[in-house]
Amino acid sequence: MSEQVESLIRSRKEYAAGFHTSIDSHTLPPGLDEDVVRFISLKKGEPEWMTEWRLKAYRAWLEMKEPNWAKVKYPPVDFQKISYYSAPKSMDDKPQSLDEVDPELLATYEKLGIPLHEQEMLAGVAVDAVFDSVSVVTTFRKKLWEAGVIFCPISEAVHEYPELVQKYLGSVVPQKDNFFAALNSAVFSDGSFVYIPKGVRCPMELSTYFRINEMNTGQFERTLIVAEEGSHVSYLEGCTAPMRDENQLHAAVVELVALDNAEIKYSTVQNWYPGDAEGKGGIYNFVTKRGICHTNAKISWTQVETGSAVTWKYPSCILKGDNSVGEFYSVALTNNYQQADTGTKMIHLGKNTRSTIIAKGISAGHSDSSYRGLVRMNPGAEGARNFTQCDSLLIGDKCGAHTFPYIESRNPSAIVEHEATTSKVSDDQLFLCQQRGLDAEKAVSMIVNGFCREVFRELPMEFAVEAGKLLEVSLEGSVG
Amino acid sequence: MLTINNLSANVGETQILRDLSLTVKAGEVHAIMGPNGAGKSTLGNVLTGREGFEVTGGTVDFDGKDLLALDTEERAREGIFLAFQYPVEIPGVSNMEFLKAALDAKRAHQGLEEMSSVEFMKLARETCRQVRMDQSFLKRGVNEGFSGGEKKRNEILQMMLLQPRLCILDETDSGLDIDALQSVSDGVNTMRTPERGFIVVTHYQRLLDYIEPDFVHVLAQGRIVKSGTKELARELEAHGYGWLDSEVA
Amino acid sequence: MTDFQQQALQLAQQQTAPDWLQDLRAAGAERWSATPWPTRRTEHWKYTPLAPLQKTDFGGWGQAADAADIEWIDAEAPRLVFVNGRFAPALSSAELPAGVVRFADAGADQQAVIQQHLGQIVDSERHLFAALSNAWVEDGVLVHVPQGAQLASTVHIVHISTPEASATTASQRVLIVLEAQASASVVEHFASTEASQNGFVNSLTEVQVAADAEFRHSRVNLEQEDLIHVGGVHVNLGRSARMKGFTLAQGSRLKRIDYQVNHRGEGAELVLNGVYLPRNRQLVDYHTNIEHCVPHGTTSETFRGIIGDSARAVFNGRIHIHPDAQKTLAELSNKNLLTSGKAEVDTKPELEIYADDVRCAHGATVSRLDATALYYLQSRGISQAEAEVMLSFGFINELLREAPEASVQSYLRRRLGWLLGRPEPLARHLEGATS
Repeated sequence: MSEQVESLIRSRKEYAAGFHTSIDSHTLPPGLDEDVVRFISLKKGEPEWMTEWRLKAYRAWLEMKEPNWAKVKYPPVDFQKISYYSAPKSMDDKPQSLDEVDPELLATYEKLGIPLHEQEMLAGVAVDAVFDSVSVVTTFRKKLWEAGVIFCPISEAVHEYPELVQKYLGSVVPQKDNFFAALNSAVFSDGSFVYIPKGVRCPMELSTYFRINEMNTGQFERTLIVAEEGSHVSYLEGCTAPMRDENQLHAAVVELVALDNAEIKYSTVQNWYPGDAEGKGGIYNFVTKRGICHTNAKISWTQVETGSAVTWKYPSCILKGDNSVGEFYSVALTNNYQQADTGTKMIHLGKNTRSTIIAKGISAGHSDSSYRGLVRMNPGAEGARNFTQCDSLLIGDKCGAHTFPYIESRNPSAIVEHEATTSKVSDDQLFLCQQRGLDAEKAVSMIVNGFCREVFRELPMEFAVEAGKLLEVSLEGSVG
Repeated sequence: MLTINNLSANVGETQILRDLSLTVKAGEVHAIMGPNGAGKSTLGNVLTGREGFEVTGGTVDFDGKDLLALDTEERAREGIFLAFQYPVEIPGVSNMEFLKAALDAKRAHQGLEEMSSVEFMKLARETCRQVRMDQSFLKRGVNEGFSGGEKKRNEILQMMLLQPRLCILDETDSGLDIDALQSVSDGVNTMRTPERGFIVVTHYQRLLDYIEPDFVHVLAQGRIVKSGTKELARELEAHGYGWLDSEVA
Repeated sequence: MTDFQQQALQLAQQQTAPDWLQDLRAAGAERWSATPWPTRRTEHWKYTPLAPLQKTDFGGWGQAADAADIEWIDAEAPRLVFVNGRFAPALSSAELPAGVVRFADAGADQQAVIQQHLGQIVDSERHLFAALSNAWVEDGVLVHVPQGAQLASTVHIVHISTPEASATTASQRVLIVLEAQASASVVEHFASTEASQNGFVNSLTEVQVAADAEFRHSRVNLEQEDLIHVGGVHVNLGRSARMKGFTLAQGSRLKRIDYQVNHRGEGAELVLNGVYLPRNRQLVDYHTNIEHCVPHGTTSETFRGIIGDSARAVFNGRIHIHPDAQKTLAELSNKNLLTSGKAEVDTKPELEIYADDVRCAHGATVSRLDATALYYLQSRGISQAEAEVMLSFGFINELLREAPEASVQSYLRRRLGWLLGRPEPLARHLEGATS
């Protein structure tokens, strides 16, 4: 590895989203017990069934153990030192329109490049902005309402659409699914709810922007997307947090339900604070994402993971209905002391189900990036197919890149193909670019972008550009 | 334009170039010939500042600038272009994107504005036609899955787009069929102008039938042992390099 | 400790091993007792339940028996034969190549070699059944080839299981030491006479291949259905050492074979090929782990399996590139065919990489016989059954051809029909066509 690239990756530019917003908040003291769960439920004014649902999850969580099979190392999380609820005081009165929202909050999102005034926004993208434990504002609701699409904070959906929430919440990721999902089920504070009625093609991109601001708080958002028969929706989430020396916990749950012939495209650009160059601070990103596909339905996960100190995340598809399709496109970039253990599960239950997995891992600095995936062909998965391609790119000789694909097949007519390769940014490639006049920094980011191309082209256009830039920033540094 | 004075260079512990001197004036085409292992490719790599090629002595002046003090990309922006013997593949990075980035870097260096995408596309398409390359190559990854001939044409395409002042062609003829050789040479010949210099490194005389040199130099054991006109190339073709041993000794 | 763990310790106490093996036995017993029993949550046993071991009451050690009607891989080659774990002098060659000796007959120098290496190549902290093998070591085979020497001929080490009155255990231990520039070829053959029952064979082979030495190894595991066999082959490769390994497995309701190869010296080359053909209700599990600890090593590994009836196959192929093991070339391919709706395969190729200037790749596929190819053959008048055998054979033939010993190739070809679970006439027809 050439010295230039070494020094290039040694230091990275300051994390642009690392500022803190000074704002008065109601923050629950650290600690977790049944009272805290009840407090959150009460704060949200939830009906009895919701409180009980949470308590059931909490009691299950108490009996569970933190998973330790992932290839990540971090000191044990003290769940009693985390605050489970924090909301800006200005949100107490539940602002009814954007004009009533605290300008500080709007300025925060402005600074992050997400203007919440509709006229300033990217046309065609509706945003739900979640700040610590509450949703600040959801844009374009009226326009969506006209199309029959529901896009609102999940806390609101519990009141407004209890029958939908009750029917689907926990239907894909049950409360006891895993340690972090159980914790989320007990204490989730906000998140987005999306409902696309039968046959409707959602007229715009939907997106949620998550921001952790307060110290020592965890963020536990919950997203539920239900696409009725023949409907179609594209959803994107983004996330950032201030730079702090302490690690902060983010344990989200996302559930997708794609009914017959429906299609859900779910994209993530994850840029939580990754910690500093010495590995201090950063977000623990422990996320459960899963979707269920009914007959002929399709769920496509695309993720660009550049942030977080530790990532533990496996967006998955249960291909229940015949002919359903699951896709997973992933770029995971780790630098400095970041660790990512991410991948997917494709569970083929129905006939002629198909899945595609394209995972690109880029490791630099002292980081570790692992792909962990499961492809399961159940006896009923007649004629099912999977194709998996996992590629790792190593930048420097202090990092690690790993591949752990589990393949389980119990149907002879199913076909599974898995390939994995590893490569580096070669000195030859670098020299070619430099000989054509590009500096090393630009050359590396170009090569890395090329490496990720298959994934980026799955992102909605505006975000593909953003994702490309994000990689550049993540690798940026001084050229020696 | 280019003055190489007593240039010596190592690869690792091994000395490859020994006190090599060569002057290339604008408008001239210099062919460098020589047996395998003579240091022909090393010259191109040293002039472009490739890592691993260590200059141990001598100077290189390029239009009044100390070339050896510049980084690879600075030399490129100053107008030095190396057409690689083995063009490397960069998967996923489209040719178009790559070329635009290189051109933008050069224009920025010259204090010019970035070329608009539309303008650039036009230029790229036009250049493609000139080297008889299908335009679909612009959208493909840099050299990704290209045949040997396609890779070499792609080098010439880049050369024509970047309009360098000094072009170094490193064994560009190796592995080319007649048709590809013809279009590569045509590209080079259209680039021959009074302002531009060429160093054509080749093992065989064949290429020089298409690109007629003003001077021919024979490189052996790291230095130029004989210089002459294109007649020298014919001689080499006829007698091989064997007779050089006695001359060098 | 589980019942089986305790039972195994009691069995160890019934043995009479020489004094100079007692330390290893004691350390093995200690490790065996201290290690938690694997469950489904133990990553390396995730797909392979050890319940059959737990459920069986092993009354004692296997006893000597006659097994004369076994078909040898190469009847002419020198061999050491063990029946139910007992040395069978009547079946073994009277003359063995220099350097090949039973532990029981080892002279002082040979004892020194054994003591230097036995239990040192395998990591019994990570391999529970290697700890058991240490605890159970009583006899064994040493193949020791001094510097620059060549083993005079290929040696066959045969272990045969025969029916016994009650469930018994057997321990098979092999140590192969090739000094610098030495070369040797060893065939390990595990077989059963017609109807075996309920036995448990724990086998362990340790191999030290010093600098520039060349080792060729075949391990053929063909035992009857009821047997349980847990085995391991653990190899250290020195600088520029070369190993060509081949293995094939069928039979056993539980057969688990571990291959661990450590590239300890720079520039070593490993070729490892394997075939597994479980059918009926068999379970075959191959776990391979290649450790590239130093630069410039090469690994080429190919395993293929055909899984029929209600059988299961498990494959786990790990390649681990340590920091600084630059310029490593490592490739792993695993392909599987399922030939029945009740068959199952669980495969996991793994890469763990901590060096950037390396070329590593793995691939895994699961499918069934290509329908178009089957149709093509049938359209030329070949019966479906025959076409299936032909295609199955084609699938593994590439690997058979690469087996380091010609005798192993021809032996396996002779038994091809049987291996693929087809009547003999088909196999004979194919034998001529394909060999």
